[in-house]
Amino acid sequence: MKRSILSAALAIAAFFPSAAMAAEEAEGHGSWLTLSFFVINFILFAFVLVYFAGPPLRKFFGDRASNIHANLAKSEEALREAEQLARAAAERIAGLEQEVAGLRQDLESETKFQVNRVLELARANSERIRRDTQATATALADNAQRRVRENLAAVAARLARDLISRHLEAADQRRLIEGFMDKLGQEARR
Amino acid sequence: MKNTRVAKRYARALIELAEKSQVEKWGAELEKLAAIVDSPELESRLASPELSLASRQEAMAKIAEKLDLSFPLRSFAVVVARHGRIDEVSAIAEAYRDLVDEMLGRERATLTFAVQPTAEETERVVAGLEAIARKKIIPTIKVDKELLGGVVAELGGKTYDGSLAARVAEARLKLAGHA
Repeated sequence: MKRSILSAALAIAAFFPSAAMAAEEAEGHGSWLTLSFFVINFILFAFVLVYFAGPPLRKFFGDRASNIHANLAKSEEALREAEQLARAAAERIAGLEQEVAGLRQDLESETKFQVNRVLELARANSERIRRDTQATATALADNAQRRVRENLAAVAARLARDLISRHLEAADQRRLIEGFMDKLGQEARR
Repeated sequence: MKNTRVAKRYARALIELAEKSQVEKWGAELEKLAAIVDSPELESRLASPELSLASRQEAMAKIAEKLDLSFPLRSFAVVVARHGRIDEVSAIAEAYRDLVDEMLGRERATLTFAVQPTAEETERVVAGLEAIARKKIIPTIKVDKELLGGVVAELGGKTYDGSLAARVAEARLKLAGHA
């Protein structure tokens, strides 16, 4: 059907221009035939246009409408989310003072804790250093005392040896032998 | 010189040959032989590798003869030389002396005095040591001024120190805080 309509339209379009031209030549100015030719020509043009360009245009506009709808839905969703975020931000802003106060309190307590910890460490370190220093000082003092005692003992022993070697008499030697004999006697009785 | 196993063996062999009445005499002769053999001039000559075994034996026989040793000791000197044990003579003499002491139930002690002791002092100390060892003591007397005063006795590996030097040393340790 469509094919036959199309073929008829094409035949008329091909045939009537020459007829129209012939009429114009005969009558000079516009006539009903010319007008009807233009009308039919336009109708054919419009028909061809609608017939061929219509479906793609419909599809294009349908797709376009779907896209617009989808975009609208997305926009609405984004708007909803933005509103939600804005509400959350507003709520947060409202609770910000409280949060800041909480943070400040946390910070203060943490600072206090750290300060106390540092103080405690410093105290422990100073105590350790004090103990070490005391131990070192004691050891040095003990060492010095020991050396002094040893030196004194060595000097005293040297003096004693000098004195004894100069003043030992036969009676002293006898007395020493007596003492030695007592020692031997004790050993013999064991 | 320290008693070696070889020295002890030679000493035991000699003592087994001796009559009880001879042991001390032989001991004295052995000491004499050891003293001569140990003298630096003879020791180096007898130890010289240039000297043959026969010459060494001959030298020992002559030494023994000159020292007027008894016949068994002369033979012993030659035997020692034949076995290349001349350098052990001192140790043999020492080992022999220990064996004789053991046989006769006596012990040797070294007494070191700070000043030269009188005979009475020596006797008293020896008597004291005999009471401890319950044996007859043969003392070796020494004098050492370093002792300052008193006496030190060494008996059977034990030292009895009655010297002033020891007391001073002890006092020094106490003063230094070590005792």
